[in-house]
Amino acid sequence: MTQYSPLRIFLKTVVARAYPRVIAIWRQVAWLFFDMAFPIVGSLAMVLVYQGLHAPRQYLGFVVMGGAMLAFWQNVLWSMATQFSWDRGNGTLELYTIAPTTFEAVLLGMAVGSMITTTIRAGVILVAGSLLFGISYASGGALAAIGVFLLTLAALYCLGMLLASLFLFYSREAWHLASALQEPVNFISGLYFPVRALGAYVAGGASLVPMTLGLDAMRQLLLPGTPVFIPVGLETTIVAIQVPVYAILAGLALRFLETRARSEGKLVTRWD
Amino acid sequence: MGLAIVRGWQGYWVAVRLGWAISSNWTRPFLFIVYSILRPISMALILAVMYTVITHNSAAARPYLAFLIIGTAFWSFIQEGVSEFATGILEDRGRYHMLKYTYLAPLGFPVFLVGRASSKLASASASVVIVLLVGTFALGLPINPLTIDYPLLVLACLLAFVAIMAFSITLSMVLLAGRDSHGYGEIMAQFLYLFSGAIFPISLLPGPLAWLASLSPLGYWLELCRRAILHGRVYEMFPQLSDGEVLARLVAAVAGTVVLGYFTYLLSDRMARRRGYIDMESSW
Repeated sequence: MTQYSPLRIFLKTVVARAYPRVIAIWRQVAWLFFDMAFPIVGSLAMVLVYQGLHAPRQYLGFVVMGGAMLAFWQNVLWSMATQFSWDRGNGTLELYTIAPTTFEAVLLGMAVGSMITTTIRAGVILVAGSLLFGISYASGGALAAIGVFLLTLAALYCLGMLLASLFLFYSREAWHLASALQEPVNFISGLYFPVRALGAYVAGGASLVPMTLGLDAMRQLLLPGTPVFIPVGLETTIVAIQVPVYAILAGLALRFLETRARSEGKLVTRWD
Repeated sequence: MGLAIVRGWQGYWVAVRLGWAISSNWTRPFLFIVYSILRPISMALILAVMYTVITHNSAAARPYLAFLIIGTAFWSFIQEGVSEFATGILEDRGRYHMLKYTYLAPLGFPVFLVGRASSKLASASASVVIVLLVGTFALGLPINPLTIDYPLLVLACLLAFVAIMAFSITLSMVLLAGRDSHGYGEIMAQFLYLFSGAIFPISLLPGPLAWLASLSPLGYWLELCRRAILHGRVYEMFPQLSDGEVLARLVAAVAGTVVLGYFTYLLSDRMARRRGYIDMESSW
Protein backbone atom coordinates (compact mmCIF):
# COMPACT_ATOMS: atom_id res chain seq x y z
CA MET A 1 0.00 0.00 0.00
CA THR A 2 1.37 3.42 -0.97
CA GLN A 3 2.34 5.67 1.92
CA TYR A 4 2.02 9.38 1.22
CA SER A 5 3.99 11.98 3.13
CA PRO A 6 2.04 14.11 5.65
CA LEU A 7 2.86 17.22 3.62
CA ARG A 8 1.41 15.70 0.45
CA ILE A 9 -1.74 14.66 2.29
CA PHE A 10 -2.00 18.14 3.79
CA LEU A 11 -1.67 19.86 0.42
CA LYS A 12 -4.03 17.45 -1.32
CA THR A 13 -6.59 18.04 1.44
CA VAL A 14 -6.30 21.79 0.95
CA VAL A 15 -6.90 21.43 -2.79
CA ALA A 16 -9.71 18.90 -2.28
CA ARG A 17 -11.55 21.13 0.19
CA ALA A 18 -11.01 24.27 -1.90
CA TYR A 19 -12.29 22.56 -5.06
CA PRO A 20 -16.00 22.33 -4.14
CA ARG A 21 -15.94 25.94 -2.99
CA VAL A 22 -14.88 27.07 -6.45
CA ILE A 23 -17.01 24.61 -8.40
CA ALA A 24 -20.08 25.27 -6.25
CA ILE A 25 -20.46 28.70 -7.85
CA TRP A 26 -21.70 27.04 -11.04
CA ARG A 27 -24.06 24.69 -9.24
CA GLN A 28 -26.40 27.55 -8.33
CA VAL A 29 -25.64 30.33 -10.76
CA ALA A 30 -28.45 32.49 -9.37
CA TRP A 31 -26.45 32.72 -6.14
CA LEU A 32 -23.53 34.20 -8.05
CA PHE A 33 -25.76 37.07 -9.10
CA PHE A 34 -27.31 37.51 -5.66
CA ASP A 35 -23.96 37.30 -3.86
CA MET A 36 -22.85 40.30 -5.85
CA ALA A 37 -26.18 42.10 -5.90
CA PHE A 38 -26.56 41.90 -2.13
CA PRO A 39 -23.54 44.07 -1.21
CA ILE A 40 -24.17 46.37 -4.19
CA VAL A 41 -27.74 47.01 -3.04
CA GLY A 42 -26.50 47.57 0.52
CA SER A 43 -23.85 49.97 -0.75
CA LEU A 44 -26.39 51.77 -2.93
CA ALA A 45 -28.56 52.35 0.15
CA MET A 46 -25.62 53.83 2.03
CA VAL A 47 -24.59 55.97 -0.95
CA LEU A 48 -28.09 57.41 -1.03
CA VAL A 49 -27.90 58.12 2.71
CA TYR A 50 -24.72 60.11 2.11
CA GLN A 51 -26.37 61.88 -0.82
CA GLY A 52 -29.31 62.71 1.43
CA LEU A 53 -26.81 64.23 3.86
CA HIS A 54 -25.10 66.13 0.99
CA ALA A 55 -21.79 64.45 1.84
CA PRO A 56 -18.59 65.11 -0.17
CA ARG A 57 -18.12 62.72 -3.09
CA GLN A 58 -15.14 61.07 -1.40
CA TYR A 59 -17.50 59.34 1.04
CA LEU A 60 -19.12 57.40 -1.78
CA GLY A 61 -15.73 55.75 -2.27
CA PHE A 62 -15.78 54.79 1.41
CA VAL A 63 -19.07 52.99 0.90
CA VAL A 64 -18.02 51.11 -2.25
CA MET A 65 -14.78 49.89 -0.65
CA GLY A 66 -16.74 48.93 2.46
CA GLY A 67 -19.25 47.04 0.31
CA ALA A 68 -16.43 45.06 -1.32
CA MET A 69 -14.95 44.16 2.07
CA LEU A 70 -18.42 43.26 3.33
CA ALA A 71 -18.42 40.38 0.84
CA PHE A 72 -15.36 38.95 2.64
CA TRP A 73 -16.74 39.40 6.13
CA GLN A 74 -20.00 37.71 5.14
CA ASN A 75 -18.01 34.91 3.60
CA VAL A 76 -15.86 34.49 6.71
CA LEU A 77 -18.96 34.40 8.92
CA TRP A 78 -21.23 32.17 6.85
CA SER A 79 -18.77 30.01 4.92
CA MET A 80 -15.98 29.66 7.47
CA ALA A 81 -17.14 30.31 11.03
CA THR A 82 -20.40 28.38 10.80
CA GLN A 83 -19.13 25.73 8.36
CA PHE A 84 -18.12 23.08 10.89
CA SER A 85 -21.49 23.52 12.57
CA TRP A 86 -23.24 22.86 9.23
CA ASP A 87 -20.88 19.94 8.61
CA ARG A 88 -21.79 18.49 11.97
CA GLY A 89 -25.47 18.89 11.13
CA ASN A 90 -25.23 17.10 7.78
CA GLY A 91 -22.78 14.42 8.89
CA THR A 92 -19.69 15.61 6.98
CA LEU A 93 -17.77 16.38 10.15
CA GLU A 94 -17.74 12.68 10.98
CA LEU A 95 -15.97 12.05 7.67
CA TYR A 96 -13.40 14.76 8.42
CA THR A 97 -12.81 13.22 11.83
CA ILE A 98 -12.01 9.75 10.52
CA ALA A 99 -10.12 10.96 7.42
CA PRO A 100 -6.31 10.55 7.66
CA THR A 101 -5.75 14.30 7.49
CA THR A 102 -5.88 17.30 9.79
CA PHE A 103 -8.61 19.80 10.57
CA GLU A 104 -6.09 22.55 9.77
CA ALA A 105 -5.82 21.34 6.19
CA VAL A 106 -9.60 21.20 5.84
CA LEU A 107 -9.93 24.73 7.22
CA LEU A 108 -7.15 26.05 5.02
CA GLY A 109 -8.81 24.50 1.99
CA MET A 110 -12.10 26.16 2.91
CA ALA A 111 -10.31 29.49 3.29
CA VAL A 112 -8.41 29.23 -0.02
CA GLY A 113 -11.54 28.25 -1.95
CA SER A 114 -13.55 31.02 -0.31
CA MET A 115 -10.84 33.62 -0.94
CA ILE A 116 -10.73 32.84 -4.66
CA THR A 117 -14.47 33.05 -5.20
CA THR A 118 -15.07 35.99 -2.90
CA THR A 119 -12.22 38.01 -4.43
CA ILE A 120 -13.92 37.68 -7.81
CA ARG A 121 -17.21 38.84 -6.30
CA ALA A 122 -15.61 41.70 -4.41
CA GLY A 123 -13.79 42.76 -7.59
CA VAL A 124 -17.06 42.93 -9.49
CA ILE A 125 -18.65 44.90 -6.63
CA LEU A 126 -15.73 47.34 -6.57
CA VAL A 127 -15.69 47.88 -10.32
CA ALA A 128 -19.49 48.06 -10.70
CA GLY A 129 -19.87 50.34 -7.68
CA SER A 130 -17.06 52.65 -8.79
CA LEU A 131 -18.47 52.94 -12.31
CA LEU A 132 -22.04 53.34 -11.08
CA PHE A 133 -21.18 56.14 -8.65
CA GLY A 134 -18.31 57.66 -10.65
CA ILE A 135 -15.62 57.11 -8.03
CA SER A 136 -11.94 57.59 -8.81
CA TYR A 137 -8.97 56.33 -6.80
CA ALA A 138 -5.37 57.50 -6.37
CA SER A 139 -3.39 55.21 -8.67
CA GLY A 140 -0.14 55.92 -6.79
CA GLY A 141 -1.27 53.88 -3.78
CA ALA A 142 -2.66 50.95 -5.78
CA LEU A 143 0.27 48.52 -5.36
CA ALA A 144 0.59 49.18 -1.66
CA ALA A 145 -3.19 48.84 -1.30
CA ILE A 146 -3.09 45.43 -3.01
CA GLY A 147 -0.40 44.36 -0.54
CA VAL A 148 -2.48 45.52 2.43
CA PHE A 149 -5.52 43.82 0.93
CA LEU A 150 -3.73 40.46 0.67
CA LEU A 151 -2.46 40.75 4.24
CA THR A 152 -5.95 41.66 5.44
CA LEU A 153 -7.41 38.65 3.64
CA ALA A 154 -4.87 36.34 5.24
CA ALA A 155 -5.61 37.71 8.72
CA LEU A 156 -9.37 37.68 8.14
CA TYR A 157 -9.46 34.06 7.04
CA CYS A 158 -7.18 33.01 9.91
CA LEU A 159 -9.76 34.65 12.17
CA GLY A 160 -12.40 32.67 10.26
CA MET A 161 -10.52 29.44 11.03
CA LEU A 162 -10.44 30.37 14.69
CA LEU A 163 -14.16 31.15 14.68
CA ALA A 164 -14.93 27.86 12.92
CA SER A 165 -13.38 26.00 15.85
CA LEU A 166 -15.06 28.16 18.47
CA PHE A 167 -18.47 27.96 16.80
CA LEU A 168 -18.42 24.17 17.22
CA PHE A 169 -19.02 24.71 20.91
CA TYR A 170 -22.40 26.13 20.02
CA SER A 171 -25.33 24.11 18.79
CA ARG A 172 -28.37 25.90 17.36
CA GLU A 173 -26.86 29.10 18.67
CA ALA A 174 -24.15 29.10 15.98
CA TRP A 175 -26.53 30.38 13.34
CA HIS A 176 -27.83 33.16 15.58
CA LEU A 177 -24.33 34.03 16.75
CA ALA A 178 -23.16 34.51 13.15
CA SER A 179 -26.24 36.55 12.38
CA ALA A 180 -25.73 38.67 15.49
CA LEU A 181 -22.05 39.26 14.68
CA GLN A 182 -22.70 40.61 11.22
CA GLU A 183 -24.14 44.08 11.74
CA PRO A 184 -22.16 44.99 14.92
CA VAL A 185 -18.92 44.20 13.10
CA ASN A 186 -20.11 46.26 10.13
CA PHE A 187 -20.51 49.08 12.63
CA ILE A 188 -17.29 48.85 14.63
CA SER A 189 -15.07 48.14 11.64
CA GLY A 190 -16.16 51.37 9.97
CA LEU A 191 -17.45 49.70 6.84
CA TYR A 192 -19.32 52.82 5.73
CA PHE A 193 -17.50 55.63 7.52
CA PRO A 194 -13.95 56.47 8.67
CA VAL A 195 -13.24 54.32 11.72
CA ARG A 196 -11.60 57.32 13.39
CA ALA A 197 -15.11 58.66 14.03
CA LEU A 198 -15.62 55.94 16.66
CA GLY A 199 -12.86 57.32 18.88
CA ALA A 200 -9.60 55.72 19.99
CA TYR A 201 -11.02 53.16 22.42
CA VAL A 202 -13.82 51.71 20.29
CA ALA A 203 -11.76 51.79 17.09
CA GLY A 204 -8.81 50.29 19.00
CA GLY A 205 -11.01 47.44 20.22
CA ALA A 206 -12.45 47.02 16.74
CA SER A 207 -8.92 46.56 15.42
CA LEU A 208 -9.13 42.96 16.63
CA VAL A 209 -11.11 42.41 13.44
CA PRO A 210 -8.44 42.68 10.73
CA MET A 211 -10.92 44.30 8.34
CA THR A 212 -10.96 47.45 10.50
CA LEU A 213 -7.31 48.39 10.07
CA GLY A 214 -6.96 46.84 6.62
CA LEU A 215 -9.87 48.83 5.24
CA ASP A 216 -8.68 52.04 6.88
CA ALA A 217 -5.19 51.56 5.43
CA MET A 218 -6.55 50.86 1.94
CA ARG A 219 -8.74 53.95 2.13
CA GLN A 220 -5.78 56.10 3.15
CA LEU A 221 -3.84 54.75 0.18
CA LEU A 222 -6.59 54.97 -2.44
CA LEU A 223 -8.74 57.87 -1.24
CA PRO A 224 -6.45 60.76 -0.28
CA GLY A 225 -7.89 63.04 2.37
CA THR A 226 -9.34 60.13 4.35
CA PRO A 227 -9.44 60.94 8.10
CA VAL A 228 -6.48 59.01 9.52
CA PHE A 229 -7.03 56.66 12.47
CA ILE A 230 -3.40 55.53 12.74
CA PRO A 231 -0.68 55.71 10.05
CA VAL A 232 -0.78 53.15 7.22
CA GLY A 233 2.56 51.61 8.21
CA LEU A 234 1.41 50.86 11.73
CA GLU A 235 -1.94 49.50 10.55
CA THR A 236 -0.19 47.20 8.08
CA THR A 237 2.21 45.96 10.76
CA ILE A 238 -0.62 45.15 13.16
CA VAL A 239 -2.54 43.28 10.46
CA ALA A 240 0.64 41.37 9.56
CA ILE A 241 1.03 40.35 13.21
CA GLN A 242 -2.59 39.21 13.35
CA VAL A 243 -1.99 36.59 10.62
CA PRO A 244 0.23 34.24 12.70
CA VAL A 245 -1.56 35.12 15.94
CA TYR A 246 -4.97 34.03 14.62
CA ALA A 247 -3.45 31.01 12.86
CA ILE A 248 -1.82 29.83 16.11
CA LEU A 249 -5.00 30.50 18.09
CA ALA A 250 -7.00 28.52 15.51
CA GLY A 251 -4.59 25.60 15.95
CA LEU A 252 -4.87 25.80 19.74
CA ALA A 253 -8.67 25.95 19.54
CA LEU A 254 -8.68 22.84 17.35
CA ARG A 255 -6.45 20.95 19.82
CA PHE A 256 -8.70 22.01 22.68
CA LEU A 257 -11.71 20.94 20.70
CA GLU A 258 -10.25 17.52 20.00
CA THR A 259 -9.29 17.01 23.62
CA ARG A 260 -12.76 17.95 24.78
CA ALA A 261 -14.37 15.84 22.08
CA ARG A 262 -12.40 12.81 23.21
CA SER A 263 -13.37 13.28 26.85
CA GLU A 264 -17.04 13.98 26.15
CA GLY A 265 -17.48 12.07 22.90
CA LYS A 266 -19.66 14.84 21.48
CA LEU A 267 -17.72 16.30 18.59
CA VAL A 268 -19.90 14.79 15.91
CA THR A 269 -23.16 14.73 17.85
CA ARG A 270 -25.83 16.21 15.62
CA TRP A 271 -27.99 18.84 17.22
CA ASP A 272 -30.96 18.75 14.89
CA MET B 1 -69.73 28.96 11.63
CA GLY B 2 -68.94 29.77 15.28
CA LEU B 3 -67.08 26.49 15.66
CA ALA B 4 -65.09 27.18 12.52
CA ILE B 5 -64.03 30.55 13.90
CA VAL B 6 -63.00 29.00 17.21
CA ARG B 7 -61.00 26.28 15.44
CA GLY B 8 -59.46 28.84 13.12
CA TRP B 9 -58.43 30.94 16.10
CA GLN B 10 -57.00 27.90 17.90
CA GLY B 11 -55.01 26.94 14.82
CA TYR B 12 -53.78 30.47 14.38
CA TRP B 13 -52.66 30.63 18.01
CA VAL B 14 -50.83 27.30 17.74
CA ALA B 15 -49.02 28.61 14.66
CA VAL B 16 -48.05 31.77 16.55
CA ARG B 17 -46.72 29.73 19.47
CA LEU B 18 -44.88 27.37 17.16
CA GLY B 19 -43.23 30.29 15.36
CA TRP B 20 -42.25 31.85 18.66
CA ALA B 21 -40.83 28.57 19.96
CA ILE B 22 -38.74 27.98 16.83
CA SER B 23 -37.47 31.57 16.91
CA SER B 24 -36.62 31.73 20.56
CA ASN B 25 -36.21 28.38 22.29
CA TRP B 26 -32.62 27.85 21.18
CA THR B 27 -31.42 29.94 24.09
CA ARG B 28 -32.41 31.74 27.26
CA PRO B 29 -34.85 34.68 26.90
CA PHE B 30 -32.26 37.29 27.90
CA LEU B 31 -29.75 36.10 25.33
CA PHE B 32 -32.51 35.92 22.72
CA ILE B 33 -33.38 39.56 23.32
CA VAL B 34 -29.71 40.58 23.19
CA TYR B 35 -29.26 38.79 19.87
CA SER B 36 -32.50 40.25 18.52
CA ILE B 37 -31.59 43.86 19.22
CA LEU B 38 -27.90 43.77 18.22
CA ARG B 39 -28.64 44.06 14.54
CA PRO B 40 -31.10 46.99 14.53
CA ILE B 41 -29.10 48.89 17.14
CA SER B 42 -25.89 48.47 15.15
CA MET B 43 -27.70 49.60 12.01
CA ALA B 44 -29.02 52.66 13.81
CA LEU B 45 -25.53 53.45 15.15
CA ILE B 46 -23.95 53.10 11.70
CA LEU B 47 -26.40 55.69 10.39
CA ALA B 48 -25.93 57.92 13.42
CA VAL B 49 -22.14 57.93 12.94
CA MET B 50 -22.49 58.60 9.20
CA TYR B 51 -24.81 61.48 10.05
CA THR B 52 -22.39 62.86 12.68
CA VAL B 53 -19.35 62.60 10.40
CA ILE B 54 -21.06 64.67 7.72
CA THR B 55 -23.19 67.14 9.68
CA HIS B 56 -21.10 67.37 12.89
CA ASN B 57 -24.43 66.96 14.69
CA SER B 58 -25.66 70.40 13.71
CA ALA B 59 -29.09 71.43 15.00
CA ALA B 60 -30.35 72.09 11.48
CA ALA B 61 -29.79 68.47 10.50
CA ARG B 62 -31.46 66.89 13.56
CA PRO B 63 -34.75 66.17 11.74
CA TYR B 64 -32.79 64.03 9.31
CA LEU B 65 -31.28 62.01 12.18
CA ALA B 66 -34.81 61.42 13.48
CA PHE B 67 -35.79 60.31 9.97
CA LEU B 68 -32.93 57.77 9.91
CA ILE B 69 -33.45 56.35 13.39
CA ILE B 70 -37.24 55.94 13.23
CA GLY B 71 -36.93 54.37 9.77
CA THR B 72 -34.32 51.93 11.03
CA ALA B 73 -36.35 51.08 14.13
CA PHE B 74 -39.50 50.18 12.20
CA TRP B 75 -37.47 48.37 9.56
CA SER B 76 -37.18 45.49 12.04
CA PHE B 77 -40.77 44.57 11.16
CA ILE B 78 -39.76 44.05 7.52
CA GLN B 79 -36.57 42.25 8.45
CA GLU B 80 -38.43 39.78 10.64
CA GLY B 81 -41.68 39.69 8.68
CA VAL B 82 -40.14 39.14 5.24
CA SER B 83 -36.62 37.76 5.60
CA GLU B 84 -36.96 35.67 8.75
CA PHE B 85 -40.44 34.49 7.84
CA ALA B 86 -39.39 33.25 4.39
CA THR B 87 -36.41 31.48 5.96
CA GLY B 88 -38.71 29.94 8.57
CA ILE B 89 -41.08 28.47 5.98
CA LEU B 90 -38.18 27.05 3.97
CA GLU B 91 -36.78 25.57 7.18
CA ASP B 92 -40.17 24.01 7.94
CA ARG B 93 -39.96 22.22 4.61
CA GLY B 94 -36.26 21.45 4.24
CA ARG B 95 -34.92 21.08 7.75
CA TYR B 96 -37.85 20.00 9.90
CA HIS B 97 -39.85 18.30 7.13
CA MET B 98 -43.14 19.41 8.67
CA LEU B 99 -44.55 21.79 6.07
CA LYS B 100 -46.44 18.97 4.33
CA TYR B 101 -48.28 18.15 7.56
CA THR B 102 -49.37 21.72 8.17
CA TYR B 103 -50.41 21.97 4.53
CA LEU B 104 -52.59 18.86 4.84
CA ALA B 105 -54.06 19.84 8.22
CA PRO B 106 -57.80 20.76 8.13
CA LEU B 107 -56.89 24.12 9.65
CA GLY B 108 -56.14 25.77 6.31
CA PHE B 109 -52.61 26.55 5.20
CA PRO B 110 -53.04 30.37 5.01
CA VAL B 111 -54.07 30.44 8.68
CA PHE B 112 -50.85 28.66 9.60
CA LEU B 113 -48.81 31.09 7.50
CA VAL B 114 -50.51 34.13 9.02
CA GLY B 115 -49.84 32.70 12.49
CA ARG B 116 -46.15 32.17 11.74
CA ALA B 117 -45.88 35.69 10.29
CA SER B 118 -47.62 37.16 13.36
CA SER B 119 -45.03 35.64 15.68
CA LYS B 120 -42.24 37.15 13.59
CA LEU B 121 -43.84 40.60 13.70
CA ALA B 122 -44.38 40.30 17.45
CA SER B 123 -40.74 39.41 18.08
CA ALA B 124 -39.67 42.43 15.99
CA SER B 125 -41.58 44.81 18.24
CA ALA B 126 -38.95 44.48 21.00
CA SER B 127 -36.27 45.69 18.56
CA VAL B 128 -38.42 48.65 17.53
CA VAL B 129 -38.89 49.78 21.13
CA ILE B 130 -35.21 49.33 22.01
CA VAL B 131 -33.96 51.28 18.98
CA LEU B 132 -36.38 54.12 19.75
CA LEU B 133 -35.11 54.13 23.35
CA VAL B 134 -31.51 54.28 22.11
CA GLY B 135 -32.53 57.09 19.78
CA THR B 136 -34.12 59.00 22.63
CA PHE B 137 -31.54 58.55 25.37
CA ALA B 138 -28.26 58.01 23.50
CA LEU B 139 -28.83 60.15 20.42
CA GLY B 140 -31.03 62.81 21.99
CA LEU B 141 -34.08 62.54 19.74
CA PRO B 142 -37.01 64.50 21.25
CA ILE B 143 -39.31 61.45 21.45
CA ASN B 144 -41.90 61.83 24.19
CA PRO B 145 -44.24 58.87 24.79
CA LEU B 146 -46.96 61.27 25.97
CA THR B 147 -47.07 63.24 22.73
CA ILE B 148 -47.08 60.34 20.28
CA ASP B 149 -50.17 60.17 18.06
CA TYR B 150 -50.98 56.56 19.00
CA PRO B 151 -54.16 56.12 16.92
CA LEU B 152 -52.28 57.17 13.77
CA LEU B 153 -49.27 55.01 14.65
CA VAL B 154 -51.37 51.91 15.42
CA LEU B 155 -53.54 52.31 12.34
CA ALA B 156 -50.53 52.78 10.07
CA CYS B 157 -48.77 49.78 11.59
CA LEU B 158 -51.83 47.51 11.34
CA LEU B 159 -52.25 48.39 7.68
CA ALA B 160 -48.54 47.84 7.05
CA PHE B 161 -48.64 44.47 8.82
CA VAL B 162 -51.38 43.32 6.44
CA ALA B 163 -49.21 44.32 3.48
CA ILE B 164 -46.06 42.76 4.96
CA MET B 165 -47.88 39.49 5.65
CA ALA B 166 -49.44 39.41 2.18
CA PHE B 167 -46.04 40.03 0.62
CA SER B 168 -44.06 37.61 2.76
CA ILE B 169 -46.61 34.78 2.50
CA THR B 170 -46.65 35.13 -1.28
CA LEU B 171 -42.87 35.35 -1.39
CA SER B 172 -42.43 32.21 0.68
CA MET B 173 -44.84 30.29 -1.58
CA VAL B 174 -42.89 31.44 -4.63
CA LEU B 175 -39.59 30.49 -2.99
CA LEU B 176 -40.83 26.96 -2.39
CA ALA B 177 -40.15 26.39 -6.09
CA GLY B 178 -36.41 26.63 -5.41
CA ARG B 179 -34.38 23.69 -4.15
CA ASP B 180 -31.78 26.01 -2.67
CA SER B 181 -33.65 29.26 -2.11
CA HIS B 182 -32.42 29.73 1.45
CA GLY B 183 -31.29 33.34 1.86
CA TYR B 184 -33.49 34.76 -0.88
CA GLY B 185 -35.82 36.23 1.75
CA GLU B 186 -32.89 38.23 3.13
CA ILE B 187 -32.02 39.45 -0.35
CA MET B 188 -35.62 40.45 -1.00
CA ALA B 189 -35.69 42.39 2.28
CA GLN B 190 -32.52 44.14 1.17
CA PHE B 191 -34.17 45.18 -2.09
CA LEU B 192 -37.22 46.44 -0.19
CA TYR B 193 -34.81 48.49 1.92
CA LEU B 194 -34.09 50.57 -1.17
CA PHE B 195 -37.72 51.16 -2.02
CA SER B 196 -39.12 51.80 1.44
CA GLY B 197 -37.71 55.19 2.35
CA ALA B 198 -36.36 53.67 5.58
CA ILE B 199 -33.01 55.46 5.51
CA PHE B 200 -33.27 57.95 2.65
CA PRO B 201 -36.16 59.72 0.92
CA ILE B 202 -37.44 57.77 -2.07
CA SER B 203 -37.12 60.96 -4.15
CA LEU B 204 -33.34 60.34 -4.17
CA LEU B 205 -33.85 57.19 -6.24
CA PRO B 206 -33.48 57.46 -10.03
CA GLY B 207 -36.79 58.37 -11.75
CA PRO B 208 -38.30 54.95 -12.60
CA LEU B 209 -37.20 53.45 -9.28
CA ALA B 210 -38.69 56.41 -7.38
CA TRP B 211 -41.97 55.84 -9.23
CA LEU B 212 -41.89 52.13 -8.34
CA ALA B 213 -41.16 53.01 -4.71
CA SER B 214 -44.15 55.35 -4.64
CA LEU B 215 -46.40 52.35 -5.36
CA SER B 216 -45.14 50.49 -2.29
CA PRO B 217 -47.01 50.87 1.00
CA LEU B 218 -43.76 50.87 2.99
CA GLY B 219 -42.82 54.49 2.29
CA TYR B 220 -46.25 55.80 3.35
CA TRP B 221 -46.24 53.60 6.45
CA LEU B 222 -42.81 54.81 7.59
CA GLU B 223 -43.82 58.41 6.84
CA LEU B 224 -46.87 58.06 9.08
CA CYS B 225 -44.80 56.40 11.83
CA ARG B 226 -42.37 59.32 11.76
CA ARG B 227 -45.17 61.88 11.78
CA ALA B 228 -47.01 60.09 14.60
CA ILE B 229 -43.88 60.01 16.77
CA LEU B 230 -42.26 63.38 15.96
CA HIS B 231 -44.71 65.49 14.03
CA GLY B 232 -43.01 68.61 12.67
CA ARG B 233 -39.61 67.71 14.09
CA VAL B 234 -38.70 65.02 11.59
CA TYR B 235 -37.72 65.21 7.94
CA GLU B 236 -40.79 64.45 5.80
CA MET B 237 -40.72 62.55 2.51
CA PHE B 238 -44.08 63.92 1.40
CA PRO B 239 -44.27 67.45 2.87
CA GLN B 240 -46.98 68.46 0.41
CA LEU B 241 -49.33 65.70 1.66
CA SER B 242 -51.42 65.88 4.83
CA ASP B 243 -51.58 62.95 7.26
CA GLY B 244 -54.96 61.96 5.82
CA GLU B 245 -53.63 61.98 2.27
CA VAL B 246 -50.64 59.83 3.21
CA LEU B 247 -53.02 57.46 5.02
CA ALA B 248 -55.26 57.26 1.95
CA ARG B 249 -52.24 56.38 -0.20
CA LEU B 250 -51.21 53.76 2.35
CA VAL B 251 -54.68 52.17 2.23
CA ALA B 252 -54.61 52.10 -1.57
CA ALA B 253 -51.09 50.64 -1.68
CA VAL B 254 -51.97 47.99 0.93
CA ALA B 255 -55.09 47.02 -1.02
CA GLY B 256 -53.02 46.72 -4.20
CA THR B 257 -50.42 44.57 -2.41
CA VAL B 258 -53.08 42.26 -0.96
CA VAL B 259 -54.88 41.78 -4.30
CA LEU B 260 -51.63 41.19 -6.20
CA GLY B 261 -50.37 38.93 -3.42
CA TYR B 262 -53.60 36.92 -3.38
CA PHE B 263 -53.49 36.08 -7.08
CA THR B 264 -49.77 35.35 -7.00
CA TYR B 265 -50.36 33.10 -3.98
CA LEU B 266 -53.10 31.19 -5.81
CA LEU B 267 -50.86 30.70 -8.83
CA SER B 268 -47.81 29.63 -6.84
CA ASP B 269 -49.92 27.38 -4.61
CA ARG B 270 -51.36 25.60 -7.63
CA MET B 271 -47.91 25.21 -9.10
CA ALA B 272 -46.52 23.96 -5.77
CA ARG B 273 -49.19 21.24 -5.59
CA ARG B 274 -48.77 20.18 -9.21
CA ARG B 275 -45.00 20.00 -9.06
CA GLY B 276 -44.65 18.67 -5.53
CA TYR B 277 -42.88 21.66 -4.01
CA ILE B 278 -44.61 21.35 -0.63
CA ASP B 279 -42.72 18.21 0.38
CA MET B 280 -39.76 18.52 -2.00
CA GLU B 281 -36.39 17.56 -0.54
CA SER B 282 -34.24 20.70 -0.50
CA SER B 283 -30.68 21.56 0.41
CA TRP B 284 -30.14 21.58 4.14
